[in-house]
This record gives sequence, C-alpha cells and structure tokens, in this order.
Amino acid sequence: MAERQLRYGIYLGALQRHTRQLSYATIVEAERLLPKRPRLRVIDLHRLLTPYVSLRFIEQLQAVVPLALLLIGFQALALRSSLLDTQSVVLGIIAVIVGLMFFMEGVKQGMMPFAENVGFHMPGRTHLGILLLFSLLLGAAATFAEPAIGALQAAATAVSPERAPWLRQLLGPYVTWLVLAVAGGVGLAVVVGMLRMVFGWQLKHLVLLIAPPTLALTVWCAQQPELVPILGLAWDCGAITTGPVTVPLVLAVGVGVAASAGRTDNPLSGFGIVTLASLFPIIAVLSVAIYLTSQGEGAMLPVMAEQVEAWYREPPFPEIIGAFRAIVPLILLLVLAQTLLLRQKIRRRNVFIYGVAMALVGMSVFNVGLTEGLVALGEQAGINVPWAFSPHQRTGAPALYPYLLGISLTLVFAFSIGYGATVAEPALNAMGMTVENLTHGAFRQRTLIHAVAAGVGIGAALGVSRILFDLPLWILLLLGYLIALGLTIVSREEIVNLAWDSAGVTTGPVTVPLLLALGLGLAHVIKTADGFGILAMCSVGPIVSVLATGLWIDLQERTEGRRKKGEA
Amino acid sequence: MSANNELIVLTDLMLLTVIVQRGYGDLVAQVALDAGVQGATVFHGQGTGVPQKYLGLLSLTVNTEKEIVYIVVPAEQADRLFERVFVSAKMDTPGMGILWLSRLEKMATYVPHEVAARFGVHRSERGR
Repeated sequence: MAERQLRYGIYLGALQRHTRQLSYATIVEAERLLPKRPRLRVIDLHRLLTPYVSLRFIEQLQAVVPLALLLIGFQALALRSSLLDTQSVVLGIIAVIVGLMFFMEGVKQGMMPFAENVGFHMPGRTHLGILLLFSLLLGAAATFAEPAIGALQAAATAVSPERAPWLRQLLGPYVTWLVLAVAGGVGLAVVVGMLRMVFGWQLKHLVLLIAPPTLALTVWCAQQPELVPILGLAWDCGAITTGPVTVPLVLAVGVGVAASAGRTDNPLSGFGIVTLASLFPIIAVLSVAIYLTSQGEGAMLPVMAEQVEAWYREPPFPEIIGAFRAIVPLILLLVLAQTLLLRQKIRRRNVFIYGVAMALVGMSVFNVGLTEGLVALGEQAGINVPWAFSPHQRTGAPALYPYLLGISLTLVFAFSIGYGATVAEPALNAMGMTVENLTHGAFRQRTLIHAVAAGVGIGAALGVSRILFDLPLWILLLLGYLIALGLTIVSREEIVNLAWDSAGVTTGPVTVPLLLALGLGLAHVIKTADGFGILAMCSVGPIVSVLATGLWIDLQERTEGRRKKGEA
Repeated sequence: MSANNELIVLTDLMLLTVIVQRGYGDLVAQVALDAGVQGATVFHGQGTGVPQKYLGLLSLTVNTEKEIVYIVVPAEQADRLFERVFVSAKMDTPGMGILWLSRLEKMATYVPHEVAARFGVHRSERGR
C-alpha cells in the first residue's frame, strides 16, 4: 500500500468551514442588483417550518388529548365498554386538533393586527358613538366566529321535541334567533366593557348591577313551565361565547381604547369584558325565549328532518359553508373599519390573505371533527356512564356497581373532567402570571390554576348530579351566584376581576362540545327534559372558589401582619 | 501595594454576540459552555428586519421575539467558537439569526486567589 502524506493542518482545514472575509457593503450591493429572491433549499424549509408547525400542533394536542383519554379511559376501565366507531372518533379528534391549529394561527395573523390597529387609532379619530357601534358589531361578529358555537347546532338533534318543545324549537328552526341573541348579548357586553375602560368603572359595581336582575329573570322564568327547559341553554350560552376568538379580539381593541383614554396604568383594564360577555347573552337568550313563548303554540315551526338531498348538504359542504358564514362577517367588519373609518390601507396583504385562508380552512376542518369526534365521544360517555349505577339502557344488563359507589364514581369522573380540562388551559397560565405580579406574589400562579380547576371540577360534578337527580337548575344557579355575589361585596376589586373572568377563560372550544354532549347523552338515558346546565355550573364554580381563595389569602396575610406587630 | 486595592484586569478577549429566535438562546449558551467558555448571558428582545426580504410569506415562521446571547471568549478561541455557533444555530438558513465578534479592551471578574498568586499578584500579601 502506498503511503501518502498529508499535513494534519490541511486535513483539519478541509473538515472545518472555510472563512472568507468580505466587506458587508459588497454583499448589500450585490443583493440590491439581484432580480428576485434566492430559492430556499429543502433543509431551509424544514428548519423554518418544522418548529413553526410542531409548536402550534403540540399546543392543541395538549388541550385535546388528555380530555379525550380521560373519557375513553373511564369508559374502558370503570365501565368496561369500549369505544364505538373508534375510527371515526379518532379521525374526528385529529381533525379537531388540526382545525384548531389552523384556525388559531389564521386569527392571529389575519385578524389580530387589524383589531389592534383599529383599537389604537379609532378612539382619537372618530366619535365615541361610532366606536361603541363598532364594538357592538365586533362583539356580535366575533361570536359568530367562535368555534364552540357550532356545538349548539350539533346538540340540537339530541333534544327531544316532546319533553322540551320550545328548547327544540330554539335549537332547530329558531337557531338563527338564538345565535343572534347570543351575538347581540356579547355585542352589548363589549359596549359596556368599552365604556368601562373609558370611564374607569369598577367591575364590582357592574357585576352587582347586572347579576341580580339576571338572577331575578331566571327565577321568574323558572316559574313558567314552558320556559324551564330553556334556562340551562341560556346559562350555557354565556359560557360558550367567551372563547379563543372573542376574548383576544376584544381585548386587543380594548387595550387600544384604554391607552388612548389615558388609563394605561391599570393592569386590570383588560379584565371584565369576559364577565360581561357571559352575563349579557343569558338575558338576551331568555328574552328571546320569553318573546317566542308569548306568541303561543302558533309560532312553533315544524322541526324538519333534513331529508333534502342536494350537493350542498353532503359533507363537507355544510361545514365549509358554516365556516364562511362564521368568519366572513368578522373579516368584513375589520376591513371596513380599517379602510373606511381609518382610511388606511391593508398592510402586508399576503399575510392577511394567508390568515383569512387559514382561518377558513381551520374552521371547516374543526367543524367536520366536531360532530364526528368531540360530540360523538361526549355523547357515548354520557350514554354509558349511567350504567355504573343503573341497568344498562340498551342491553338491560344489571348495574355494574352498587348504587352509591356508582354514583360517586360518576361524580368523581365529572370532577376530574372539569379539573383536567382546566389545568391544561393555556389562557389560564397567562392569567396566573398576571395575577402573581399584581398581588406581589401573594396569589401564586399555581394557587390560581388549582383554585379555578377545583371550581370547574366541582361545578361539573354539580351539573352532572343535577341531571342525574333532575334537580331544578335555577335553585343551584341562584345559590351559587348568591354566594358569589356575597363574596364579591367583601372582596377587593382585583380579586373580583380575576374571579369573574376566570369563569369565562376555562370554557374553550374543546371543553364546551365535550361537556354539552356529555350532558345531552346523560339526559337521553335518564330521560330528563334537557341536558344543559353543566357548563353553567362550571362557570359559577370557579367564581366562588377563586373569591374564597382570595379572601383566605387576605385573611392569612392580615393575621400574619398582626402577629408580626405583636412580636415587635 | 496591598491585596485589597488590587484589581486584575484581563485582556485579549472578544465578545461574541448572537441573536437567535426565542427558545434557541439556551442552545447557543450550551454550545459555548461545551467549548470551554466560562459563561453566557441571555437577554430577551424584539427583532425586525426588511420584511420578507428572503422569505416572503414564510417569514411568518420566524419568531420576532429574539434572544441575545453575550459570550466573552479568549481571543485564541474566538474564531473556533464563532464557527461552532454559526453551525449549531443553523445560521445558513434565512431568518435564523445573526452573530458578530467584537474586540474587547478589558474585562474583570472573580479570579481565584491561588490562580492570581501564580501570576505574581498578591505576593505581597503572602510575604507579610
């Protein structure tokens, strides 16, 4: 073998990168002369796209998978029944994850910049009245775009027209009225929220002004036999509206308004709208229901079974049409406000188009997955769960466990769904950070998350037990909100903001369909009139638990302060 | 001269400044530590650039929140570390970041007494 000598330095030099020194100016000059963008290599695309996609995918995965596993696991372990239609449910859940990922990115890129821009420039340039009108429309349009709204329509089929005729009417032929009522309620809430930012009203006063009439209306409706089944729906609507589109959009406008009103110092100025947006729709839905029932039986429209065979009724066309109907009003509103009121051009047009396209595709995919995945899963769980303590509905097999054990198992299951769904909520994490800073570390982030999660869990358990035992919902709501109002009076303004808002933060686009379907499935088996109300109870729970935690922390600090004084 | 008013000033060093997307600062710091550097400091920042110069719509994938890493290196190691950071932070892809090396006049930090003594400083303290 012939030997070849190679200087070690040359070998190393071949391994290492070669450096060549160039003046920066020459590069800049060369780039200016370049006619078009250089082509990216495949590795560049991978390096750019992989982290971008995986980060957003994992975000949604964390929200969906634990809940889905909990539902499937409980059925498999405690109820020894396996998932039906596994394939379509799993595909549906994947569609939900992918759809949410696309949709949230679309909202962030396509709509957020507008909302921020409009919120920042509008107060200075237009009349307060126009700003309020814009807020009203924005709140309403954002509600249409909320992914969880679709769950309402999906729930309609599970309501029996005999036992709750008006409920079926509201979810069937009159569903446009229902959605309009909710949207109008949110719009009003945004208007009040904006006024609050401009004038610096205290949320405590607003809550004490608005919540008691809402409760009074509820109690009044509870006395009318035909309105009783609608109460659950009305209060659930409050929880559905405050999702991942409305809250950030409205906040983006609100922060701009607060800044131009010169109230940037208050870190709480962003809070409160969520609370109002959960209370106003309740009043709106109840009012619509009262109006409709006052029209008498004649106003009832036939509940049509959708038999018409047309190309636009085959999936996925209804989903795509639904997505367009949900998103286009919001985009139109934002674009019109930007171009007509502010007379500004749309900047970065390709990013805007990308965002809108992503939102549309995401919403369509999510809608497909919603019925196939989340609603199916929740409903199956709801139908199977009563088997724990009563004979199986279809097979007539005897109950799996003794009555008491079965009931408590069911309640533990409901609690863990509420708890698990909340702990994973990213919005709550962000809120916890704000709170920890606000209270100078007294109210820890972890404390807040667990307080809210426990509240939601207890709420879910209460909601489920109210369906199981057919308790009147209005009494539970009245008791819950009276406790909450009582605690509100004695609490500090910061804690009040926090507690009432935490109720809305917890009900995202994954939790809402699951819990709705679970309740409807349960109601179907137990044969109660309506299966709504779980979400409503999930909203009261955290208000009470967070207020109580806040008071407890205050009390501790005070006694500690006194002890220190005593020692000194 | 007593030990108390003596100050050891270190020379012949370079400052390596690396700007990467948020989340990659730790990687850069780790590369630097592995290369034998004594420490790295990470700042948070916000970046802008000529919009869509190289990437077009793909510029959406680049996080505008940045991490800025300061690394002080001995002059002898500077070029080697410069290259390692460039390669490990994948700077040959547009949008990944920028790094530069600048000469530092002097630096001072904690120097262990034993080490200092080896270079003839603090001898007066021992002699006493």
